[in-house]
Amino acid sequence: MPLLQVEDLQVTYSPRDSAAVRAVDHVSFTVGEGEFVGLLGESGCGKSTLGHAVLRLLEKPAAITGGRITFDGRDVTRLDEDELRPMRWADLSTVFQSSMNSLNPVITVREQFADAIAAHPEATGGKVDVDERAGELLEMVSLDRGVLRRYPHELSGGMKQRVALALALVLRPRFVLLDEPTTGLDVVVQRDILDRLRELQRRLGFAVLFISHDLGTVMEMADRVMVMYAGEIVESRPAADMVVRQLHPYSAGLLGSYADPRDADVEVAYTPGRPPDLSRRHDGCLFQPRCPVAVDACRTRHPSLVPVERGEARCLLLEGPAEQAAHGGRQGAEAAPGTASAPVPPPVRNVAVFSTTADSRGREGGEPVMTVEGVGKTYRTKRGLGFTSTRAVRNVSFTLRPGRVSALVGESGSGKSTIARLLTGVERPSRGSVRFKGTRVDRLRRSALRRYRRHVQLVFQDPFSALNPTRTLAYALGRPLRNHLGMDGRQARARAAELLETVGLSPAEQYLDKLPSQLSGGQRQRVVIARALAPEPEVLIADEPISMLDVSIRAEILELLDTLVRDRGIAMLYITHDLLSARLLADEVMVLNQGSMVEHGPTLEVIGDAKDPYTRRLLAAIPRPGTSRVPAMAGSPAEAATGGTGGAEQRPPGI
Amino acid sequence: MTFFVRRAGFFLATLWAAVTLNFLIPRLEPGDPAEALLARLSSRTEAVDPAQLAAVRKLLGTPDGNLLQQYWEYLGALAQGHFGVSYTYYPYSVTDVISEAMPWTLVLVGVTQVISFAVGTVLGAWAAYRRNSRTDSLITLGSTFIGTLPFFWIGLLLIFVFAITLNWFPEGGGYGGGSQPGWTWLFFSDAFQHSVLPAVSLLITGPIGWILGMRNNMVQNLGEDYARLARAKGLSRRRIALTYGARIAVLPNVTGFAIALGSILGGTVLVESIFNYPGMGRLLLEAVSNKDFPLMQTLFLFTTVGVLLANFLADVAYGFLDPRVRRKEAA
Repeated sequence: MPLLQVEDLQVTYSPRDSAAVRAVDHVSFTVGEGEFVGLLGESGCGKSTLGHAVLRLLEKPAAITGGRITFDGRDVTRLDEDELRPMRWADLSTVFQSSMNSLNPVITVREQFADAIAAHPEATGGKVDVDERAGELLEMVSLDRGVLRRYPHELSGGMKQRVALALALVLRPRFVLLDEPTTGLDVVVQRDILDRLRELQRRLGFAVLFISHDLGTVMEMADRVMVMYAGEIVESRPAADMVVRQLHPYSAGLLGSYADPRDADVEVAYTPGRPPDLSRRHDGCLFQPRCPVAVDACRTRHPSLVPVERGEARCLLLEGPAEQAAHGGRQGAEAAPGTASAPVPPPVRNVAVFSTTADSRGREGGEPVMTVEGVGKTYRTKRGLGFTSTRAVRNVSFTLRPGRVSALVGESGSGKSTIARLLTGVERPSRGSVRFKGTRVDRLRRSALRRYRRHVQLVFQDPFSALNPTRTLAYALGRPLRNHLGMDGRQARARAAELLETVGLSPAEQYLDKLPSQLSGGQRQRVVIARALAPEPEVLIADEPISMLDVSIRAEILELLDTLVRDRGIAMLYITHDLLSARLLADEVMVLNQGSMVEHGPTLEVIGDAKDPYTRRLLAAIPRPGTSRVPAMAGSPAEAATGGTGGAEQRPPGI
Repeated sequence: MTFFVRRAGFFLATLWAAVTLNFLIPRLEPGDPAEALLARLSSRTEAVDPAQLAAVRKLLGTPDGNLLQQYWEYLGALAQGHFGVSYTYYPYSVTDVISEAMPWTLVLVGVTQVISFAVGTVLGAWAAYRRNSRTDSLITLGSTFIGTLPFFWIGLLLIFVFAITLNWFPEGGGYGGGSQPGWTWLFFSDAFQHSVLPAVSLLITGPIGWILGMRNNMVQNLGEDYARLARAKGLSRRRIALTYGARIAVLPNVTGFAIALGSILGGTVLVESIFNYPGMGRLLLEAVSNKDFPLMQTLFLFTTVGVLLANFLADVAYGFLDPRVRRKEAA
């Protein structure tokens, strides 16, 4: 008997003022004792809702509207809070997303352990030495016991996340739900926490449901992976199988968006479009509008989850032709167990790929437009009577050339964003100089600075907050046109339409009068890019432009940026913590560590043959699905040499 | 520790600035109080006799010397508690007048403020604890409704019903004709009788702000990840509500409460004038309407100092209650 069994679960959001949304639809799965199951999906697919339903933490307007959750033979679906309470934490515990806010800010870490222990005398046998138990767990997640006396705000994000993990294990639960436990943490920290987690899981033997949108991580950590799309599970198979071949086109698209940046030729796929509106009824396959291999039947028939190989998948193309004819709609899969034993895998092709080969990068560019020389920036903060100075950037030099992308890679706090601020003239360097075609940017003031800003534009990280939610796109794009180019209303509108077409939002008339809230994340980011292009800048600074976007559309934005740089001869500074995207887009890579540039050179050289230990750590932190991790030094040249079949066929990434 | 020293230093600096402004502002205003007084006294429009002017100046005690000398004298007088002579209650000194009015206000407003805060916090927390229940709607809607009623109207209604119609309590004043202020039972029971209606009127409206503030903060806190995690931990509802809700939600209210306590010194002008209550608020009203500059200035100074002091205490309390603040400031 599985430890956790979810049968036909449905969760519906029924807000008072809008239509009900089926966030989780007829989901069934099991998690065995000690099993590590990954749940992969993009934002809004219902994965977190499913997690909350399993923990019985749903709050209005969400509610379980059908199905059953059984834990250890006990139906927990309809238990009330008092009956659930003894099971909570002692049997099922959890770590929430990045835990930035999941610790009580006004009590010490020790107290947060103590109250969990005190609430479950039955699980601990009454007497537990809090300091001993909690201290031991903290050591397991490589934290000092002294952390017990600290308050959450005194800890870094990574430390908080370790505390949350230790806290989840305090009552020796049999099942732990991890909901995006490392999202938002720096890659190296993330790597370390995940390694620790896997080790603890093996040692203590608890079962895990690991929810994440980060494909590489899930594939590498989990024994079995479930892919969720639009509230349904579309594929559920052993990770080792799925990584080699994906049966559902959506899974194929997701895996296609991953590649190893060390390969000579790197190619990533993306899946244009966006998930369906779940408040409406859909007859056919929910993925059909975005599906590259859809056939006519997909529009009208909803596929069932059918057993395939050592798992299950939901795709009409996997059901035999006879099957397709025999049953329509959602029912019927149960009636056809035998047929799926020899499935015909769908000929998955990527509709869209963004690829980069060994020689397609390394454009020389023209004369430098932007020259940064020996720049340093020191922030002084008042502390009591004295000052503390923080050296955010130390002695950094580089140039930006037209038609060329320079990637600035580093973790949070490495000084990347400070450099962006120095280039835009928002801040002045403490040392060194920033030149734009011979003009000293660091000496510009007022109107000269305003005129200068026309030439250097920014693409922001978060497309959801970068646009004024109360203004239409025509307005958002019109502002820079009026301000910098002195256009009148009509000219600006016509130009705004052209810009929308340039970034692929076409026909532009349909978009001009829309509000940002009517667009998806990817579309918003396109608008942000269009706005940056509006004053015809010569330098574009893109600060993590894809990190907030769903994996399946990231490559789409990268491709757009690449085209713009090439066609318009713009010099781009691409700021990122993600080496894969740097590899795809950039001609040269600069690695920044604690304000200093530790490595600088052509992309393939830096990534393929990293010299600096810090760069190597960054590379080692990249998850490699399908390979079981050896905690030795990563980044051996042998790995970088393989791969690279290229072409249109989907290939297993990272192997 | 540095946190508290820093807060104390900040308090002293602000206090000095407030005291200095209190000195400077009246001196920077155009016009001469002596001339103004003479002009009011004489209906004639003739030129003012310099001798007369000098006499009035002497009478008012208008200072001589340059600004710096005056400032030193002012600071010296403040240190000794000399605030000058009240024009309205001549020849009583401002100190006398204020020390007469102060206890009334302190007791009435102070006690009602503390009760309001306590009641408001508890009711607000309760409403949040049972959010979206009938209790919650009753508390929230009820207090919002009462909050829309004009305060003076509530006061007048109380007087009309309980003093005039039912004749249970006196209509106004601090004590009746039959008793004299002193440490006697008669006086205290009489003063209590007089304070009931103003106190009730303050207690009707007082808790509303605390209720709504507390409820909203706490509902928000209970929606945070840490509260959800507390639920997942299987903690009791009570423990979640207190440690993960109320404990954090009360913090912003503490500052508000301290400021409210500080402003007690300025009195509550409206309630004291409606009930003709002999406290600081009514004194302020009189001072303003009689252009009693020394009294006004002193009352303003008291209010400022009161608020500053209360703020300082709130900061200190906050340091104890909220570890985040302590750390941020001390780091």
